[in-house]
Amino acid sequence: MLKYLASTIKDFIILSRDKAGLAMLFLMPAALIIIMTLLQDSTFKALEEKKLPILVLNYDKDTFGINIVEGLKKSKFFKVTEQPDIGEQSENELKMQVAKGAFQIGVVIHKNATNVLRNNIKFNIVQLLPEKEDLIFGDEPLLLQNAAKIESYFDPITKNSFKQSITSALHEFSSAVEAKILFGIYSSLFRELLGMEIKNKANFTNLVEIESAYASINDEVIVVPNSVQHNVPAWTIFAMFFIVIPLAGNIIKERESGVSMRLRIMAGSNLPFILGKITTFFVVGLLQAATMLLIGVLILPLIGLPQLIVGDSYSALILLTASVALAAAGYGVVIGSIATSQEQSSIFGSISVVIFAAIGGIWVPVFIMSETMQLVSKFSPLNWALNGYYDVFLRNAGISEILYYVAMLMIFFLICICIAWYYNMSRKEN
Amino acid sequence: MDKNIAIEVKELSKRYRNTETLAINHLSLEVESGEIFGLLGPNGAGKTTIISVLCNFITATSGEVMINGINLKSDADNIKKIIGVVPQEIALFPNLTAYENLRFFGNMYGLKGNILKEKIIQLIKTFGLANKAHQKIHTYSGGMKRRMNLIAGILHSPEILFLDEPTVGIDVQSRAVIIEYLKKLNELGTTIVYTSHHMEEAEKFCTKIAIIDMGKIIIEGSPAGLLRKYSNCYNLEDVFLEITGRSLRD
Repeated sequence: MLKYLASTIKDFIILSRDKAGLAMLFLMPAALIIIMTLLQDSTFKALEEKKLPILVLNYDKDTFGINIVEGLKKSKFFKVTEQPDIGEQSENELKMQVAKGAFQIGVVIHKNATNVLRNNIKFNIVQLLPEKEDLIFGDEPLLLQNAAKIESYFDPITKNSFKQSITSALHEFSSAVEAKILFGIYSSLFRELLGMEIKNKANFTNLVEIESAYASINDEVIVVPNSVQHNVPAWTIFAMFFIVIPLAGNIIKERESGVSMRLRIMAGSNLPFILGKITTFFVVGLLQAATMLLIGVLILPLIGLPQLIVGDSYSALILLTASVALAAAGYGVVIGSIATSQEQSSIFGSISVVIFAAIGGIWVPVFIMSETMQLVSKFSPLNWALNGYYDVFLRNAGISEILYYVAMLMIFFLICICIAWYYNMSRKEN
Repeated sequence: MDKNIAIEVKELSKRYRNTETLAINHLSLEVESGEIFGLLGPNGAGKTTIISVLCNFITATSGEVMINGINLKSDADNIKKIIGVVPQEIALFPNLTAYENLRFFGNMYGLKGNILKEKIIQLIKTFGLANKAHQKIHTYSGGMKRRMNLIAGILHSPEILFLDEPTVGIDVQSRAVIIEYLKKLNELGTTIVYTSHHMEEAEKFCTKIAIIDMGKIIIEGSPAGLLRKYSNCYNLEDVFLEITGRSLRD
């Protein structure tokens, strides 16, 4: 016990005197959380508040084209500018404007689109009727024409999500116009065939209401996911695992200086010495987590971001955080034991944490990864930690619900310690 | 007769991983209790490796080591309790003060409370570091660091002390203090095994010397005995050069 306490106190003193190291452990992650949350939050806001600039060239100038342009104008996502029709050069001018980045998207509604649409609808109606009614719409039989065409041009830097939103909007407006034209054709058919005057009072819009809500068990009040609820735990975990660099560096420095030789020739196990280091960095990890979560709760709302909601189960939060801190400390010990120089440990340590973070869903949510990567993500301790925090923060999970993640993190910690012990033993064999 | 043997080494060999040559080559030696035994040799002769094996920092490839009658292989922990080591490197925490370093190492040796405190105060006074006890080690001069390095190795009053070039790169005053103190320790019964490149120092300090090269003992005896044997040599340095040659070593 004396050795363990002496070792822990020693490491605390050394760490407290390393001002640059402390800054790296606390200030850098705090800055990371604030910057990343602000960035992501502003990106989401950009989608909603800053309308996407669209340049539209409407060659059609009939029902279809007019309705598409109106629909785009009414949408809250787009700021529509109409390109004047100056003949053949109009489309090239539109492409140039988009390519230059003046507009992110260019939309061209082709000439006669409404007529083509009307023709094709009538053609399909004729296909439904008996053969004797082939000439119901005129003297000549109808022929199916190429579909009415809308072309979209994108600025090369336009994000995929923006492309998808304009494409779905165009589909939505086209369908609405198609329905409108279809209904108009059927109305005139009723009038001609049945002599029935249509009042045109029907309203076929908003016949279906789509409601969306976040699923919760037993209808509990749940926290709405936002950039804060993701970024604070994600970057807290990332920062906690980054103690690998100072911890591994500390182990290697002591080994290179001969201190570890002095310690290894002392009677008794070397374990209290290692445990002292783990304790110190475990406490640092807890303090890091507490600082980062407090930033989420107290500081982020001051700069216009949503407040971090930490869930109801503080015991689950503490247990999970302790497991993450232990896993991170264990990883630091194993890197410090395997690496043969400080340069090696800092490069390998930092890159491996970045890889664990990347596959663990810290930057990109796991659900949008490919199936293979989703499988790979299950091997990242940062993923276990992040899923645990999601459960505690967003699903109000208690201890029993996060035990799987806690167990995985603890197993990871124990494996790290065993590998470190093996390396230390084999170093003696040399 | 066996009771007087502090260290007994039989056919000791050490081959480092991925190397072909033996760092220690079937070496046998005996160090009597109360001796100051000097291990002298050129660079790469195997001095540090021998000390590392004797204090169980690394394991030997073959051979047997008995320290105070205890087998190193089977009972290393009991041997560790009675030995002290002063490594060649400054094995201290540079960001801790001298007092904090010694308190830590004292605790690791199992010392605590007033006994440890008094021992620290006594040693830092003896080595002229009392007024710098609360300064961080990285602010110390080379000589002060060497003195501290020694104190950290003798804090627990070991029966057998291994010193790996304890006076390398320091001023005359620091060297004098260290050697003087080691002699006092020896008078009080501590067996000392010491490596050095400093022949003059070894000649005056050691009661017995072994000159080693390529992991083997080439000759051993008292400094006076070696000078008698090599009557054409004026001092131990001449004997050393006579035996190990003048070619440069890595």
